[in-house]
Amino acid sequence: MTPLLQFFNVGFHYDERQVLSNVSFTVHAGTCVALVGANGSGKTTLLRMASGALAASSGVVSLEGQTPSKMPHRLRSRLVALVPQQLDIPFDFTVQQIVAQGRTPYLGLLRGPSQTDHLAVERALDLTDTADLRHRIFNELSGGERQRVKIALGLAQEAKLLLLDEPTQNLDIGRQTELLILFDRLRDEGITILASIHDIHLIPGSFSEAHILNPDQSMTSGMPADILTSENLSKAFRFTPGRFPSTFHQALAQEAQ
Amino acid sequence: METELNKVAISPLTSAPLGRRQGDRALKTFGPINPSTFLIITLLLLLTLAGAIIVSVSLGATHIPLRAILSALLHRQPLTETQHTILFAIRLPRILASSIVGAALAVSGLMFQGLFRNPMADPYIIGASGGAALGACIGIVFLSQFTVYGFSATALLAFIGAVLTMMVVYALARSRGRTGGVTLLLAGFAVGTMLTNSTYLFELFDPNSSSGIRIVAAWLHGTIGVPEWKQLTATTCLFALAMVAAFPLMRRLNTLALGDDYAHQLGIRIEATRIAIILVGSLLTAIAVSLGGLISFAGLIIPHVARLIFGPNNVRLLAITAIGGALFLVIADTLARTVLAPSELPVGILMVFLGGPFFIYLLRKGKREYAL
Repeated sequence: MTPLLQFFNVGFHYDERQVLSNVSFTVHAGTCVALVGANGSGKTTLLRMASGALAASSGVVSLEGQTPSKMPHRLRSRLVALVPQQLDIPFDFTVQQIVAQGRTPYLGLLRGPSQTDHLAVERALDLTDTADLRHRIFNELSGGERQRVKIALGLAQEAKLLLLDEPTQNLDIGRQTELLILFDRLRDEGITILASIHDIHLIPGSFSEAHILNPDQSMTSGMPADILTSENLSKAFRFTPGRFPSTFHQALAQEAQ
Repeated sequence: METELNKVAISPLTSAPLGRRQGDRALKTFGPINPSTFLIITLLLLLTLAGAIIVSVSLGATHIPLRAILSALLHRQPLTETQHTILFAIRLPRILASSIVGAALAVSGLMFQGLFRNPMADPYIIGASGGAALGACIGIVFLSQFTVYGFSATALLAFIGAVLTMMVVYALARSRGRTGGVTLLLAGFAVGTMLTNSTYLFELFDPNSSSGIRIVAAWLHGTIGVPEWKQLTATTCLFALAMVAAFPLMRRLNTLALGDDYAHQLGIRIEATRIAIILVGSLLTAIAVSLGGLISFAGLIIPHVARLIFGPNNVRLLAITAIGGALFLVIADTLARTVLAPSELPVGILMVFLGGPFFIYLLRKGKREYAL
């Protein structure tokens, strides 16, 4: 397995506030990796460093051997795509128009989209099952549809690494399951996924690795079934283990078998 | 490894309920318009503009029959000398000026709306009106006899004032290599208001007393003057230059709609793109201001309506807003100089009466969309 993304002792602080320190982990090509942690534990910051939007305050972030925040813009945008939690669009752009924006790194100032670009957009729409939505207005979509379109936008970029910031947030259980099926499909396509996820019960089936960001800024890494124990989670999310919601117990117990 | 959830039977993704489909919105945007239809619509709009210009030329205090104009155009029968003078020294320059003002305002409105990601932005939003007002006021009060290459001091100083103000506002809003949209708006508001109100002082010290004040007032309300051909040619060249520069920025505006962060990850150099948009938008605003003073609402409404009909793709909207803006202002200015003939209404006042209610209508209709 070749390492696609590596963090070596990475730290980050916003002005005075230290958000992350000594983060080290590797994402291998073709894997599906989950980031788990309480609100404010630095998951989004970590993803933004991987995408090159933020530069690490200390340590080294390496994307195929280069630092994402220092790579040439276009080169970077063909390697990594970040699907944000929120995508606010001020005008009535249609799904197809939005997804086509993913081709921006491949277009010049004057050169319009070519056949290759159209094909890439179609492929992104097909993979995410959003082709039927193409003429709908993005702002009028439901949460689940929106999530799929955002992923299609990331896919149109044809990046090797897809960073997803809480993709299952605000989705009902049916839409969450649709998303997991989509992840499986993307993995089959050879796309590497690093996602921050609050819905712990979704992780064991679809993700091969998980990293827990603890409040003391340490990390717990390993196979989801091994590390997503109520003991570890109670430490990461600071709650009393006895009051763990029963559905989590069941999902995790099933996983352990 | 399979979770319990994966075993639960769920409907295939493709049959997921699609909810509201092509509802009222589809009616509003006529669905997707294919490229050839779009080209035809653009050409029709261009023909309408040409028609409006010809009709407008014949209208006014002295009526020149359309037939006389057309036969002169076809070299059948020349116009009388008076007709010729009225046509070429007064009406045509003014009508061409109004079409450039309309096109420039509409396109710069389109650019600023896209840049600020707010459909309620107008070309004066970052203070251009204040600088232009101050410049024009100095020109009117102190340099009323002065001309440079066909430009009156008023037009020239208004132009310079608009460009300088926008540069100052931009510099004020920039910190640590980034420029926040809201900061830019607020800095523009503060600087623009200060400059606009400072014109009051000049009016106090006006050596020509009342006449100067009247001219300043008319200018502030927006009146399209009769430019010299030299000025018109120079302005047309500047306008053409700005349009050429605007074209490649349109695709960038589409990408900026996704937000700065997303545009950055798509490989766009945000700050450079922003500066380019502000430069071209400012140039267009200054062109409009130098020919017609401060005309409200045109730069706001034209892009807005175009977007309602043709959708938000800025590449298409560039041509549509330019032609639509020109057409709209040619019609408005013709009305302004004919409804109360022989006296004239400032076209800016007419625009306020047309534009104000329309703006409020839009505001009431789409409250959700206009949160800053």
